[in-house]
Amino acid sequence: MNTSVAIDKQHREEAIEQAHLPMRDTSATRTETKPNYELLAAQLDEIKADIKQKIGAEDAAYIRRIILIQRICEWSGRLFLMLGFIQPLLWVIGVLSLATAKILDNMEIGHNVMHGQYDWMNDKNINSKRYEWDIACDGASWNRVHNYEHHTYTNIIGKDRDFGYGLLRLSNDFRWRVKNVWQFATYIALSILFQWGVSYHEMAAERVFFGKKKDNRKNQVTHSELKQRFFSKGARQLVKDYVLFPLLAGPFFLWVLVGNLIANLLRNLWTSTIIFCGHFTGDVETFKEEDCVNETRGQWYYRQALGSSNIKGGKLFHVLTGHLSFQIEHHLFPDIPAKRYREMAPKVQAVFKQHGMHYNTGSFLKQYASVLKRIIRYSFP
Amino acid sequence: MISTLKLLLDKLADRFLHYGSWKGYWEVLMQQFKPAWRDGYFRARLVSVKNLSSDMLEVLLKPEVSWPTHVAGQHIALTIELDGKLTTRIFTIATGANTHQRTKHIRLVTKVKAHGVLTPNLHSFVPNQWVNISAPMGKFVWPTTEKPLLMIAGGSGITPFIAMLDDAINNAQVNHRPVHLLYFAKPNEHVLLNELSAFSKRCENFTYDVLTKQKDGDVEAYLSYFASAHWLVCGPHTMFDQVERCAKMINVPVSSEHFAALPVVSNTSLTQNETFALVHNGQSFTIDNQQTLLLQLQQAEQPVTYGCGMGICHQCQCVKKRGVVRDTRTGELSDSAEQLIQLCVSQAVTDLEIQL
Repeated sequence: MNTSVAIDKQHREEAIEQAHLPMRDTSATRTETKPNYELLAAQLDEIKADIKQKIGAEDAAYIRRIILIQRICEWSGRLFLMLGFIQPLLWVIGVLSLATAKILDNMEIGHNVMHGQYDWMNDKNINSKRYEWDIACDGASWNRVHNYEHHTYTNIIGKDRDFGYGLLRLSNDFRWRVKNVWQFATYIALSILFQWGVSYHEMAAERVFFGKKKDNRKNQVTHSELKQRFFSKGARQLVKDYVLFPLLAGPFFLWVLVGNLIANLLRNLWTSTIIFCGHFTGDVETFKEEDCVNETRGQWYYRQALGSSNIKGGKLFHVLTGHLSFQIEHHLFPDIPAKRYREMAPKVQAVFKQHGMHYNTGSFLKQYASVLKRIIRYSFP
Repeated sequence: MISTLKLLLDKLADRFLHYGSWKGYWEVLMQQFKPAWRDGYFRARLVSVKNLSSDMLEVLLKPEVSWPTHVAGQHIALTIELDGKLTTRIFTIATGANTHQRTKHIRLVTKVKAHGVLTPNLHSFVPNQWVNISAPMGKFVWPTTEKPLLMIAGGSGITPFIAMLDDAINNAQVNHRPVHLLYFAKPNEHVLLNELSAFSKRCENFTYDVLTKQKDGDVEAYLSYFASAHWLVCGPHTMFDQVERCAKMINVPVSSEHFAALPVVSNTSLTQNETFALVHNGQSFTIDNQQTLLLQLQQAEQPVTYGCGMGICHQCQCVKKRGVVRDTRTGELSDSAEQLIQLCVSQAVTDLEIQL
């Protein structure tokens, strides 16, 4: 498999331009012992094949059950928001219920369905071609940047534009700049507005509004289409949460508007935090493009393994993270129904151990502290 | 009024809930009360499944009230959830519209395919289980002609004729002209003979021959006797070819419905270089079974969206309308019905139709 020839050089050039430095591997935690890649690929393929045999009615019932819970949470939440005048506690329940619905739609349903994890069901609504999630980001744009670039070129500097989102310096692969001093504040702002950050991500990378346009750039979609889809999806989300539902509430307009605002904020903070814990903990490694030329399947697995980190937790926690608390398994097997990562994880961990590979996992607090430390550490030269 | 409301709700669902339809958005909730309630499908209750012969099954269904009654000869898509996967196959309805209106039941008669996905599982379904069906489809119906009719059936191709005869005899349409049926099947595999016998007893204008290729020879030998009739043929492709060739030669009008047997994938087809037809956007391309579909579509300069090239990102995903593909990563073969495939990890195993 040759991952380097399938994409043009533009992203690498961007990174070099940002860094003004030649690509180099400066990660202090780079694993020294290399695994037997062929054996690693065979073992991980076997874990995947075993699970694929089990996928069926149970998984279909599971995702439908989660969608059902999402519907109940969303509409009961929207109803309770209007009842705050009876008892403010009802409004609080409404906010939490709506936030839960938004988190479920974003993570366990949207993210996973759009990864194609349930395409095998042949369901007209639950498939990656049809599903559009309930956040500001246009699904097609996310599919291009996330499903394609991020999952194919995970943590290859210059190719995976998710690494630091072009806003944060998270490794020495990038040259330090003065703006990095306040990147912790940038991170907080990004987390608060996370759905808009994800939505704007492709447009920022393509320099639609700002930045120097690239010569001979081969775009998958035109800038006008990017803009049209960005504004269309974003406007509909704004109208729904801040005009339509508040108006439906009549005199309780503000109760609903503020409730929706807080529910969106909670969802943004949660998803941002979980995703940062999955990719930007201290031990997560970066890769050079030249290291990945003519990459074998085993080497690809290896890169996915070291470019991700897990979070320990209970079942409910895993569901609310969309099972991205099993980010390692997700990156190894992105189109396996995410709930199955729970039973795959011990087998993956055993394989890593056999090959002397670091299985990056820890409690939420440990992993999140590690993320914050990394953001602060690379704020400085 | 109802259709305006439906349009409005669908528009709202599309703009603000990001679902194709209002009904689709609530589907999972509705399924708690009405099993198999799905947007774009009708529901039907399974009444019974019984053997007609060693490999022929009769499936009796009770469609929901809103199902539009068929015209005899039409077919439906039957969709059943098998281990979480919605599996769809096409079946001709083997009862007339009159019978459906009277009994509220429709009957499907099908051959159980030894390596099939759906038909071998029909036996495991229990009465009162809900399945999905489509609206009736197809134009293979009783023709508007004054000529005598010759019906030519091959194997399970008998089903539309049973439905047509059921209605025509009840409506006394057969009284106006002679109708003859040539019914070919393998020895001891003719089904519904008692019904044919009953039809001929009720209506002297209807006659039939029960034939086997082994004993009675090819269909072509019989056709010249019916040169003044309008021919209707339903059966395997080879039979259809023979009848159509003969009809052209003696200038006889022919209505037809032919079916291709489910693709058989032999071991040789996995290793030897073979070519197939790929239909996309009304255009037909010749493709081989050695390169991926993505590569071949790119070589044909078709506008294909693509990404990783290794089956991760789903950028090149498209709807396969029919045909079988092999996953290059695992060697796994797809179903023959409509489903999503990724072009970059799919090779043709049969002729294909796709929608990008």
